Amino acid sequence: MYSLKTAFSSLGRNAVMTVASIVTIACCLFLFGVFLLFAFNINYIGEQISSQCELQAFIDDAATPADEERILKEISALPNVKSAEFESKEQAFENYKAQLGMEYSESFEGMSGSDILRSSVKIVPDDLTLVKQTELAAKSVRGVARVVNREDIILKVVSATDIIKFGSLIAMLILLITAVFIIQNTIKLSVHAREEEIHIMKFVGATDGFIRRPFVLEGVIVGVIGASIAIVIIAFGYNMAVGGVTEFLDVFKLYSFSQLALPVSGGLMLFGIIMGSLGSRSAIRRHLKV
Amino acid sequence: MIEFRDVTVIYDNDIIGLENVSFKIEKGEFVFLVGKTGAGKSSAIKLLTGEIKPYAGDVIVNGITVNTLKNKKLPYLRRSVGVVFQDFRLLPNKTVYENVAFAMEVVRARKKDIRRKVPTILSLVGLSGRAKNYPNELSGGEQQRVCIARALVNSPAIVIADEPTGNLDAETADEIMKLLMEINRMGTTIVMVTHSEKIVNDARRRVIQLESGVVVRDEMEGGYALDVLA
Repeated sequence: MYSLKTAFSSLGRNAVMTVASIVTIACCLFLFGVFLLFAFNINYIGEQISSQCELQAFIDDAATPADEERILKEISALPNVKSAEFESKEQAFENYKAQLGMEYSESFEGMSGSDILRSSVKIVPDDLTLVKQTELAAKSVRGVARVVNREDIILKVVSATDIIKFGSLIAMLILLITAVFIIQNTIKLSVHAREEEIHIMKFVGATDGFIRRPFVLEGVIVGVIGASIAIVIIAFGYNMAVGGVTEFLDVFKLYSFSQLALPVSGGLMLFGIIMGSLGSRSAIRRHLKV
Repeated sequence: MIEFRDVTVIYDNDIIGLENVSFKIEKGEFVFLVGKTGAGKSSAIKLLTGEIKPYAGDVIVNGITVNTLKNKKLPYLRRSVGVVFQDFRLLPNKTVYENVAFAMEVVRARKKDIRRKVPTILSLVGLSGRAKNYPNELSGGEQQRVCIARALVNSPAIVIADEPTGNLDAETADEIMKLLMEINRMGTTIVMVTHSEKIVNDARRRVIQLESGVVVRDEMEGGYALDVLA
């Protein structure tokens, strides 16, 4: 109770600095949240691209329907295979025609799928980095003539999302360090204003924890208020921004805020509390050495 | 109650604060610590409050060996040692009552005990009628009384008074001395640092004199002038 009372009265005493640091923390955490949402969505888009990048195992022309069934079963049971789907010659032919469009339909008159295409098994791998091993395993299945692997595209997607995620992580780290520094300076002012009080507290036998607590609370309050503001802005801004982006980018799906509300809000709040606590602790450390 | 056993203090800049100092102060004694500036008085006081640790030797306060005491345990030593400062060190935004109550609040005393004890202590130091005043509304003597009340309120076994009359006129200094003597009569051990010849000579109590970090005199019912001026 003493700590809470002292923390609030101290925040009130340095009102201008308190407001300034809350706003700055809110800005830092807002940017942090934006990067977090960005990273989540990049990951999501990466997953969507990866799921489209599948292996295709073409089946020998001589294979019977029973062989095709066995091949599908054997491929499904291979390691790193998320799903495997059989595509008959006719289905492949229909898909091919649909891809080329109506204007070329005359060129295919009198032809059937069995004349020009092979049946195949489309494989979606679990781990994209192990796709080479999956390709070799599929090739060794009896009756498989050839396996087409779009490894180059897959690996490019993986490395691009990794780079973006790493960049976001660095940016988030810089923002967090900045926020700790800001809170630290606010609390330093507070500590400076109460230097004599701290000195007397030490001499009458107050424990370090007791002296530190109001300052840590003060930092945590600044962090929590800053995080709350950032969460509100992000919650309102995100869905609007997603609406705008998907108008141009309707190939990929993006997360809605409600899907990310818990990890993003929880993350921002947690970081607000941790930064407030860390900033305050480092601000008062020197003053406890009496 | 207090024991220094071959205590040596060396500061970071190699200046010697105390050198092989040994003395013992029994419970209920009133002891003056005298000596020129730089003689080692402050080092001795700092050892008693755990502000510094000796380079060699043992400092024992209330049965606690200060030199081996972990920093975490230091607050508990300080609760048994009240400190009275020359410059009072009162909190200007707190009333007399709040300044004294503050010392109990920070050691987590119960509110009921604070409400009972603070008025009793204020009455002991003669400030019952000034409880609601702020420090800047008090005279120097009154401010020092508040400082004494704050040092006493947690019932320490020892009170260390670091030149408590240094900022006061002779008449007020006498009043503060009478108060400290009264507190001592009630059983509290008092170690007082002073430069006042008159106070030491009038009181005729034990005098420990330090010179260049060494005890040069330890005399029961001693005077001030004898060696300090020599």
